[in-house]
Amino acid sequence: MAIENPAIGPAIPKKISAEALKKSFWNWFFWNGCSQQAESMLGMAFGQAMAPIVDDLYDTREDKAAALKRHISLFNTEAQVGSICNGIVCGLEETNANGNCTPEVIESVKVALIGPTSAIGDSLWVGTIIPILLTICMTISQASVAWLGPLVYMVVYPVGTCLISWKLFQLGYKGGLDGMQSMMASGKLDRLTNAMVLMGLIVVGALTASFVSCTIPFGIIGDVVDAATGEVTQAVIFNASSMLDGFFPKLLPLLLTLFVYHLYAHKKWSPLAIMGLILVLAIVLTAIQYSTGYAAVAALV
Amino acid sequence: MSVLQMILIALFIYLGSIGSIVGNTIGWYTLGRPLVASFVVGLILGDVQTAMVVGIPLQVMYLGNVTPGGAVAWDLSYATYIGAAGAIVFGQGMDATALIGVATVFAGIGGLVGQLMWNISYALNIPLNRMAARYAEAGDTQHMFVPNVVMGQAIGFVCRFIPAMIVLGGMTAASTQADFASLIPDYVISCLSIFGGMMSALGMGILLSFLLKKQWYMAIFIAGFILVTYFHLNTMGVAVVAAIVAIIYYQIGSDKEVA
Repeated sequence: MAIENPAIGPAIPKKISAEALKKSFWNWFFWNGCSQQAESMLGMAFGQAMAPIVDDLYDTREDKAAALKRHISLFNTEAQVGSICNGIVCGLEETNANGNCTPEVIESVKVALIGPTSAIGDSLWVGTIIPILLTICMTISQASVAWLGPLVYMVVYPVGTCLISWKLFQLGYKGGLDGMQSMMASGKLDRLTNAMVLMGLIVVGALTASFVSCTIPFGIIGDVVDAATGEVTQAVIFNASSMLDGFFPKLLPLLLTLFVYHLYAHKKWSPLAIMGLILVLAIVLTAIQYSTGYAAVAALV
Repeated sequence: MSVLQMILIALFIYLGSIGSIVGNTIGWYTLGRPLVASFVVGLILGDVQTAMVVGIPLQVMYLGNVTPGGAVAWDLSYATYIGAAGAIVFGQGMDATALIGVATVFAGIGGLVGQLMWNISYALNIPLNRMAARYAEAGDTQHMFVPNVVMGQAIGFVCRFIPAMIVLGGMTAASTQADFASLIPDYVISCLSIFGGMMSALGMGILLSFLLKKQWYMAIFIAGFILVTYFHLNTMGVAVVAAIVAIIYYQIGSDKEVA
């Protein structure tokens, strides 16, 4: 421990040990969502993550209490990408312990970090990377054996996320706020996000074509005379769905998907309401199918 | 389902729910994803084949289920573990499309229960702030984990494990009463199949709302669509094409920056 002389301040600048940094990261990585609630969101988890750092940097009970109190206040982010916030705050606490920063600055930086890190985390990581990775793993399942896809995901996602989360934590600690700003301002991040979005869109288009199904159960059934044998059989002579498919394959699934998108994105329907609507549509389509006798004949053809 | 199987599934429902002890990366975002969840259910119930038949469509349906700003639209963990288990228990002898329909219905029931329990645990966690404040006031760095991990998890576990056991127990009791596959009329099966197929549009539609940032992006989406319908590429082929497009887009941007 440095011998402090009140007149000239600490003799040796304080530094967070590598051990405490690792401990702080693991506390965050595993338990960031444990006590989520509306009052402080991830505040308690952030406080727990900062505890080893506080222990390392401050000596008196009063200083520790003051530091802990500022870290259990409201905090929220997308926790996996948001580990950069923890890194930045660790760096600021270190500066503060050396007398070059104030608690007010730390608090305002923390609040300022909530917006941008949540936005990047939610749109890039959760909204784009995870669906793409899941899609690739589903494809693996379809192309080879079914259990291989989930197995690949179970290994690649947690390990990859952990490594990236740790890198971001270190980047935040070493580069601080300037490091994050220069990363966001360089345009690299924007381009990367857009590139991922384009990739996501193509894949979502393919998934729509492969998985969404929707048919119009409407057709005209008539007697067909087999010219060779003279036998009369019932058959579908006009089928609305296959006619539409002939003109643009899977047009109905595409329109249904765009309709759901419209309801969700523009009309602000909740997923639950859309689910209800789909259930009603399914019941109506089934009723049409059975009441017109289409189902029985369609099953034959 | 045996009692042991029910306990294991309920345990995984808890682990895969948001904010479980293993962390959101391993829990919510891995064990809670339908693709992984149905695989786990398949292992527990000894029918990976059936589990994966419903797992992939469930994953497509819920691909758009993300949690922006911590708001849980639908408890995926509950939805898929219950959905996959429902398909295995009740869907004996059904064909794939009917199985998917059954799984979709049970996933809906599970998701509703899960969302209710999430709201309850979200409210129950609030008083923990007082506890955390007391430890912080005392400068007690060694005990900061108590309100967050110990208490938060006790609440989380009770809110997930017990209701899951009740739902699974109800399913088991019902499944022993009768052979449902033969009891359910044709038109119900047909309706469930149509429902399951159309539900995939929900996942895709929600995902599109995140991705369609500009009007012209719609063309890119259609491109992915016709790669399958007109060019008959499988999804792996499309994923490779998509990666190439992303790399080219990124590179053109960097070249412009240099010039």
